[in-house]
Amino acid sequence: MISTRGLTRAFNGVPVVEDVTFDVPAGTLFALLGPNGAGKTTTVRMLMGLIGPSAGGATVAGYRIGGGADAGRLLRRACGLLTEAPGFYERMSAGDNLRFFGRLYGLPERTLRAQIEHFLRLLELWDRRDDAVGTFSKGMKQRLAIIRALFHDPKVVFLDEPTAGLDPEAAIEVRELIARLKTEGRTIVVCTHNLDEAERLADAVGILRRRLLVCDSLQRLRAGPAGDGSLTVQCTLSGPVADHALALRSGPPAPRVRDVRAADATLTARCLPDEVPLLVAWLVGRGAAIREVHAAADSLESIYLRAVRGEQ
Amino acid sequence: MTRSVVLLFLVREWHDTRHNSRVLPLYFVLPLVAVALPILLAVMAPSMMRDLQRSAEPSTVALAQNLARLSEYHGLPPGEALARYILRATAGMFLLIPIAIASTAAAFSIVGEKQQRTLEPILATPITDRQLLLGKLLATVGPTVAATWAAGLVAILVVDLVFTARGMVAPLPDRYWTVVLLVLAPALTAAVSLVTMRLSARSSDPQATVQTSALAVLPIFLLVVAVFGRLLTRSFPALLGACVLVLLLDVALFRMNVVRFRREEILTTWK
Repeated sequence: MISTRGLTRAFNGVPVVEDVTFDVPAGTLFALLGPNGAGKTTTVRMLMGLIGPSAGGATVAGYRIGGGADAGRLLRRACGLLTEAPGFYERMSAGDNLRFFGRLYGLPERTLRAQIEHFLRLLELWDRRDDAVGTFSKGMKQRLAIIRALFHDPKVVFLDEPTAGLDPEAAIEVRELIARLKTEGRTIVVCTHNLDEAERLADAVGILRRRLLVCDSLQRLRAGPAGDGSLTVQCTLSGPVADHALALRSGPPAPRVRDVRAADATLTARCLPDEVPLLVAWLVGRGAAIREVHAAADSLESIYLRAVRGEQ
Repeated sequence: MTRSVVLLFLVREWHDTRHNSRVLPLYFVLPLVAVALPILLAVMAPSMMRDLQRSAEPSTVALAQNLARLSEYHGLPPGEALARYILRATAGMFLLIPIAIASTAAAFSIVGEKQQRTLEPILATPITDRQLLLGKLLATVGPTVAATWAAGLVAILVVDLVFTARGMVAPLPDRYWTVVLLVLAPALTAAVSLVTMRLSARSSDPQATVQTSALAVLPIFLLVVAVFGRLLTRSFPALLGACVLVLLLDVALFRMNVVRFRREEILTTWK
């Protein structure tokens, strides 16, 4: 449904997005992660056809970006966009705002009325339909903006920071809505800093920092860099761990581990699940007083930090 | 689609204008000022005519006599011909209304959307640049022309009432007023709106756009009136020529605005 190849965008000669290649199959949710200024919004704007690429290209919902005015119009009709800031006419009512944008999408009056009612009821804003948007809370405006991104029934939905600035309750509501959209078979791209959100919702993840550092399904990413299902083991000892780390790195007769790190009293390494008891036994054999052992598959947070710090 | 988009913007922009304390008063104050001058002249016409008869000012007398020789004033006393001619010249006031209102209202057209953060959601819809700009243009031109025409209608009715009450033939609308109100004022409104919209698309502050637009438009207009004013009130073909020129200017400005409307420049330079 979305396919990018070497997508690049520079402003005044400075690349903001460089050589980005990924595919998002139909009906999946792709989370585009990255720190501020990583190029997420620029990427989404390129995919929506709002700005052109400096190099490379992409196809979205069957339309090539930069494929001319008509293709651009068809592309925008096939996509829904939740912008970073909701952006409504504050003095106009919620219903009038939606009617205005619905007509810009060329929706017939009857369809528009039905869609507005359906989504306002779904997102519990129906009772506030005649109130000015200026009187709405941030969460209500965000829900209204999500309706605007959806009510023309797009095949592809881009959600730029959908829960940014929302209180926890509103954020949960928005997340539930996104999960529901996924079950409707839409292709969704979510730009977010919220790793927990991405972990809960995404089928696949791309970590962007100008270039795409990591891009894979969440399942494969959790299976570790080698894809072998290895775990990250954290052993907290009562004393310093530097000597143990050094011995581990030197290899056999030490257990087979990799990515060994030592910080104060915590030793971190990656190994297969079978190796965890061997590692613990090996440490005990070296006289280490183990206070706590924690073994888990990679979290998105650790994948993210590894990718972003590795880039630095 | 284009017609419905244009109407959509017209209704929505008027909704905004009604709440814009910087623009709304202009729709009432300027027409009142423009209406006041011809009415004042109509009221003062008899005393002007008496003064002219007593006047020894050779240039004024010569002007009145020259005017009385024009076909449209044929048979009128020189004093009345002069009064009617001065009344005709007040049509220029109805060109100041579009300049002042359009240069302020259109200043908000693009930058106002940027400030409300509604421009990106609008650009994400399938509307074309041409539709957006046409909608924005007519949203400024429509109410401005309506205000100008309303003011013109009031002026015509009151002036004619004053003249007929004194047993004179109703002077307005003469063909100059008709063309100025029906053609030149709307064409000028469009030209000023287009120049201001172009500035608005490049700006981040409506107030700065109003000032820049006033600096760009008003001096040029006053210069044109100073140079060609007398010609435009005496030669009907010259007035028609001016209309054609302004209409051609409208077409050129609209095309230029569409060509130079850069969605990505607007989106990426606005923070």
